[in-house]
Amino acid sequence: MALRMWALRKSLWVYHVNVGACNNCDIEVLELLTPRYDIERFGMILVGSPRHADVLAVTGVCTRQAMPRLQELYLQTAKPCVVMAIGSCALAQGIFTEAYHMGLPVDEAIRAVDPNAIILYVPGCPPKPEAMIDAAVKGMAYLKTLGKPAAKASGKA
Amino acid sequence: MGFLTTIGVFLAAAAGTLVLGLVLKWVDRKVTARVQWRVGPPWYQPMVDILKLMGKENLMPATARGTGFLLAPLIALVAAAVAAAVLWHALLWPHQTFVGDLIVLVYLLMIPALMTMLGAGASGNPHASVGASREMKLLLSYELPLLIALLVAIARTAGAGGGWSFRLGQLITAQQSSAPVAWSLSGVLALVIAILCTQAKLGQVPFDLAEAECEIMSGVYVEYSGPSLASWLMTRAMLAAALPLLLIAVFWGGLYRGAWWGYLTFAGKYLLLVVLVTLIRNTNPRLRIDQVMRFFWFRLTPVAAAALILAFWGITKGVSWL
Amino acid sequence: MTTVPTQEGITLTGFVGEVIKRLGRLVVDVQQCQPRRGIVRIDPDATVEVARQLLAMSGSRLATATGIEVRDGIDILYHWCFEPEGVVLTVKALAARPELAIDSIAPVVPAANWIEREMHDLLGAQFRNHPDMRRLILDDSWPQGVHPLRKDFDQVLDRPPLPSAPTDGGGPKEAGP
Repeated sequence: MALRMWALRKSLWVYHVNVGACNNCDIEVLELLTPRYDIERFGMILVGSPRHADVLAVTGVCTRQAMPRLQELYLQTAKPCVVMAIGSCALAQGIFTEAYHMGLPVDEAIRAVDPNAIILYVPGCPPKPEAMIDAAVKGMAYLKTLGKPAAKASGKA
Repeated sequence: MGFLTTIGVFLAAAAGTLVLGLVLKWVDRKVTARVQWRVGPPWYQPMVDILKLMGKENLMPATARGTGFLLAPLIALVAAAVAAAVLWHALLWPHQTFVGDLIVLVYLLMIPALMTMLGAGASGNPHASVGASREMKLLLSYELPLLIALLVAIARTAGAGGGWSFRLGQLITAQQSSAPVAWSLSGVLALVIAILCTQAKLGQVPFDLAEAECEIMSGVYVEYSGPSLASWLMTRAMLAAALPLLLIAVFWGGLYRGAWWGYLTFAGKYLLLVVLVTLIRNTNPRLRIDQVMRFFWFRLTPVAAAALILAFWGITKGVSWL
Repeated sequence: MTTVPTQEGITLTGFVGEVIKRLGRLVVDVQQCQPRRGIVRIDPDATVEVARQLLAMSGSRLATATGIEVRDGIDILYHWCFEPEGVVLTVKALAARPELAIDSIAPVVPAANWIEREMHDLLGAQFRNHPDMRRLILDDSWPQGVHPLRKDFDQVLDRPPLPSAPTDGGGPKEAGP
């Protein structure tokens, strides 16, 4: 278990999901791969399929249309996995919280299908890439605590 | 050799090739990172990737055909391991090879591509089907120039006095007694063509459109996860370690075990080929499938045919540098 | 030259004035006639004719259309722009209660197809003879007949129930080791 968690936190593969963002957060996520912030030194790469992913980087308010699709995507991702809610829209729907077409906020939508989901919150509008790296590192530290034998394994489907 | 020792040697060769392949994968990622002015991952990164994938769920979509979906990566892994074992054996003991092992090798090295198509077809996903059809067209394109390039090497060693032979060991010993195939005009052409075909066989840019990440969501591997995906990555790592061995054995004189510096030159040639593949990958964009087919059929195949004609001319006229 | 009814103090000059004069008796009221901006109100039964005439003028293009609910019905505004001169002309047509219906200009101006579908979704404006009136931007679980941009729709309290989450049973099977 500890080995599994060590391997997981040393090699987190990211799949990016946009559930209704203005694309500002998406641009900042792209910047993580550029030479300036270079997320690959942590072993994180961007993958093209949710089945290959360990981190679902979710940006955007979760609209009614996107909500069942985000939940389906979470179910299709191979566990154990971590959800990273990026930006104030993903955290609490930002300034759109009273609009007619909103679904649940991202973390409530994910917890509706998996109450034990691990969710990282990255505030900002948009958050700086340093904030996202900070969240990733804190997520890795949390996975380290999960690797301890006394802790119950979370996120198992 | 006894049966158990054979199995033991085969497993050792497979494990060694796997480790070598993962190290080479790190070399590729590190060189790419430095070319892009980045830092890049630590040396153990590809091994941690495999380890992590082993610990994840193995999901199979409801629309997939279970047998093909699950067996394809395993068959590809075994084929790559056997090919690597044959190559190491031929390099280390050139006098103990069997007749026709080059042909067996060509078939074995084709199996991972066929299994990719099978696994992608069994995935039940339209992205995977697109990737499978691209992989099929890619296979039809690069196999012919590669085979002609191998024929050039056979012709050159026949002209050097060894007689016509498909034995890999024969090719190596003939090159070590006279001159490597690459030290001739047709040989150089054949080596360059073989390097480009290797690039396609490894699924590297500019020919990586079967697993195009941004375009078709990882194409052939879109539905794979967990240990099956780890199996695919290990297959590709083993192929990346084994194909330069084939190139050195056939075109560049193999491993000269007569003196201590033979090992050094071998390591140098190997590293040069690996870095060449990486640099080609970093300096080129991805080609479309029609561009790839045009490149292999109308540019490389005529050059390969010309090299073969030059080699034959060299043998019949006795001109050694052709 | 037929006289066009205008409000107090508006003279029909410049390019905008020329366009409005060309529309002639189709115009019911002129609200604004600046050098680069014009706002006119037309008879709601004449939208197709006005669209046809504006489209026939060189350099004209339907930029967008907006709808707003007013006391008497839904005001549909078509914004036509004339790019060589840098002019925007807004044409207002009232879809009166209770039918809230107006002729669709989509058969004449294909660009209006989707924008009229959007106005139908969000405001409930009916467009007669629209070639393809399907739901455009509200999601599939939104009930029919509920229009979120009406004045009597509360954005929070009147929200329909959310779509249900997919169950784990319909997902992929766990296979292998």
